Amino acid sequence: MEMNSQAFLENAREALGDPEKAKRRDIMAAFTPMVRNAAMESFGKFEPLRQHVRRVRQHTLDNLDHYLDLFEKEALSNGNHVHYAMDGEEMNRIVLDICQRHGARRIAKGKSMVTEETGLSRHLEGAGLNVTETDLGEYIVQQAGEPPSHIVGPALHKSAAEVRELFLSRHDLGERELDETAQLVKEARGVLRQKFLEADVGIIGANALVAENGYSMLVTNEGNGDLCANLPPVLIVCTTMERILPRAEDATAMMRLLVRSATGQPHTCYTSFYSGPRREQDTDGPVETHFVLLDDKRTDILASDYREMLQCIRCGACLNHCPIYTATGGHAYGAVYMGPMGSVLTPLLTSLEESHLLPNACTGCGRCAEVCPSGIPLPDLLRDLRHAEQAAKLSPRRWRQGLKIHAWLARHPRIYHGLTALGIPLLHRLGRRRGAFSKLPLAGGWTSQRDFPAPQRKTFMQAYSNVVKAEKKRQRND
Amino acid sequence: MNEERSNPEGHTRQPQVALFVTCLADLFRPSVAFDSIKLLERAGCSVVVPTQQTCCGQPAYNSGDYDATVPLAKQVIEMLEPADYVVVPSGSCAGMICHHYPRLLDGQWQRRAQDLATRTYELTTFLTDIAPLPPRKVKTAALPPVTYHDSCAGLRELAIREQPRRLLRDMCGVEVNEMQQTDVCCGFGGTFCAKMPEISAKMASDKVNNAVATGARILAGGDLGCLLNLAGRARRMGETIEVRHVAELLSGDLAGPAIGEGK
Amino acid sequence: MTKSSRSRIFAKVRHSSRGASAEFIREELDSFGKAPSAELPATDTATAFLANVLRNQGTAACAANRTDAVREVGQYLYQHYRTHRLVAGSDPRLAAMPWRDAGVLPRFGAAEGNEPAALSYARLGVAETGAIVTFTGKANPAANNLLAEHHIVVVDCEDLVGDMEEAWVRIRREVDRDGRPRGINFIAGPSSTADIEGQLVYGAHGPRGWHVILLGHVPDSTLDDARELAAG
Repeated sequence: MEMNSQAFLENAREALGDPEKAKRRDIMAAFTPMVRNAAMESFGKFEPLRQHVRRVRQHTLDNLDHYLDLFEKEALSNGNHVHYAMDGEEMNRIVLDICQRHGARRIAKGKSMVTEETGLSRHLEGAGLNVTETDLGEYIVQQAGEPPSHIVGPALHKSAAEVRELFLSRHDLGERELDETAQLVKEARGVLRQKFLEADVGIIGANALVAENGYSMLVTNEGNGDLCANLPPVLIVCTTMERILPRAEDATAMMRLLVRSATGQPHTCYTSFYSGPRREQDTDGPVETHFVLLDDKRTDILASDYREMLQCIRCGACLNHCPIYTATGGHAYGAVYMGPMGSVLTPLLTSLEESHLLPNACTGCGRCAEVCPSGIPLPDLLRDLRHAEQAAKLSPRRWRQGLKIHAWLARHPRIYHGLTALGIPLLHRLGRRRGAFSKLPLAGGWTSQRDFPAPQRKTFMQAYSNVVKAEKKRQRND
Repeated sequence: MNEERSNPEGHTRQPQVALFVTCLADLFRPSVAFDSIKLLERAGCSVVVPTQQTCCGQPAYNSGDYDATVPLAKQVIEMLEPADYVVVPSGSCAGMICHHYPRLLDGQWQRRAQDLATRTYELTTFLTDIAPLPPRKVKTAALPPVTYHDSCAGLRELAIREQPRRLLRDMCGVEVNEMQQTDVCCGFGGTFCAKMPEISAKMASDKVNNAVATGARILAGGDLGCLLNLAGRARRMGETIEVRHVAELLSGDLAGPAIGEGK
Repeated sequence: MTKSSRSRIFAKVRHSSRGASAEFIREELDSFGKAPSAELPATDTATAFLANVLRNQGTAACAANRTDAVREVGQYLYQHYRTHRLVAGSDPRLAAMPWRDAGVLPRFGAAEGNEPAALSYARLGVAETGAIVTFTGKANPAANNLLAEHHIVVVDCEDLVGDMEEAWVRIRREVDRDGRPRGINFIAGPSSTADIEGQLVYGAHGPRGWHVILLGHVPDSTLDDARELAAG
């Protein structure tokens, strides 16, 4: 599959043509909304919490200069180095530089979508470093040489049997049973335990940055993030500024939404706050810690009409509820972020030229906005991107022109009614026996997959004007 | 024929309803519009059909052509606003008028759009909440099992779910056989189904299969876009489930062919 | 290089911000009030806490006093390992426990490699999530939370709070007194993953067993009530 948003339709076709993978996606599409709904119903306060967190986050974004200043001040006074990167290349350079200054050879990495964005692992490996993804899902796709298919469960497109094959070929551990998923997890645990213990540098992301005290928050079920944050002598936190929240309780309030939305659990197993390097009373932990704050268009988005997209907490609920994502799978999007949130972010982070198909992969059904814990009006943002696409003349000419003609006709009722009064009865006569057309000129997109139902004898406006005329005649005769 | 005339909201005169038939009903299934008039009159309303109507502007709007949509929206508002109520046999077109016109327009036009929105209703909502249909059974043979498709716009923009089911119960004595995953899109999405036909077809197939699995013989719904999509896909799949607009069931208009059905 | 990026980023952020005073910002934030939190499964905090510990797939026990607590630790170790080996941090509360009464002798220090069991004395327990809270430091090295197969945690009844907001009030008090710890860890269960086919498996990278001992005087029925709630 091509990692290229312009190949979305071809990729989608390929994905639709794989019945086994399609079936697994359908199963996930039935399962994930069910557990999310159960969790929210059990919690009982989704809407008030969503409103509260939304208020706090919009307040933070409105005053981001104040909070960024505060976070930096606190993070520095906690003993961190704080770096800023305009783009992915700069972030990668900064991280590599830190690793090289320490003569690091082995890197243990926690899950971080920001580092996916910048292609950090590839960059470090290109410089000869050995990078191990420690989140099990990321480890699996790393071993398989594939991109993640989902922002929360990167390897959910793989069956247990495929993971078994992968482990058998990649881990040199001799004859062994790997039929149960539990055995696969146990093997990964053993292999990766060594990596944690040997790592020279730990790299993690952050689910939130707390301005009032300079702590970063990381949540996992596996505990791999904590192992990366506590064992290696150097820790690098790669993140972006929209993660900043004012207070610690704002971060944990947000978690009430994040975890239920992502997995249907009330909370994650590990919710950890790290302030910086080892202190006097510590016997473990990194001796040197770094924050690398990446911009990569965030400040542009902040200044734009798409600003609300910065409220995204990467829960993946919109993916889980999107029937288009289910149909095509994550890889079809050809981008780091997929599904509804990816279809908004990708044009903003890359360009509309490269990715304008993605906002079109949407029926406007609104299921995403219904479940979005951040209250982001995704269907409206997607429509606005289609507006930008249309204004930039990136959509196919025949569509743009066809829709303009239709709109013009609609504003000229007499012509519209006149033309349809001619066309519809003709279509009716042609189609009335069978009831539908299997082929119709100008409707190839429709008829490639569907029959086109035949119209009735006349248009309504035609039939109604006849009724009105007949009624007037009757009244005159009475 | 002595119709029972109910008096919605204690009006001393009959409430005047302007029917916005929708372009799909106008072009592909006028019987739905005629059935809607019949139902509204039965509910005690006097119905006018503004003759300058064509389309609410969704095709251009959803494809992002806001510039082409604005003048059309203004035309529609101007045409409809004199009525006491506007009734629309489509969740998506009613949603367009109620939710999206105010978003699209500014200043005095926005105010006029907001005002119109307070008086604009989708058909089944109007016939349950505003001008309740006097309960009576449809005088035809008992209906075969029915399942119901909730359009996304109707469901999420206008909270339409119970209303058609209540009407089917009260007017036709029918309890809907619910499908699996009623809240998942059927794949129509306006221009989407033509821009991304294979993805759309998969979604439509899932919906048709869910409908057939209920054992229902009729698939009803309130939005012709969805219904044309599902009927077309069902025919291509070789499924014979009858696809009809809910107005047809409620008014007992079942003699003619279902959507996509031949003579 | 990164200095100029810093200036550019700050300038762009400032440009999009409201430029309000710190006072105004503080007031607006305060005006939002408290976030809604999850309801507790029971009105009694201890019962609620234990119910959620159990729902987290942890195991739980009540100990009226420190002698009972060490016996409980001994029993848990023996049940899982037929051994009395244990590593524990230098928390003075742990050192002061009557280990000889249970025939257990912890090694005081940090867990290494494939340790069978580690013991922590929590700072707090949070009923809302069934989580215990530890700070990193000599008293509880982070390794003790993460590297052992089984993590045993003792928490005092007086250190139980209702929800996360209350937890932060208590944590702030300790931080104001003793300074910021490097790490603040909320742990709510044995480690797990569902990354393969969405199947939930316990014992991912962290411990696969998690045993919480509630120390102090609680009504006798507390644990049973918690078990009933967790099962329901």
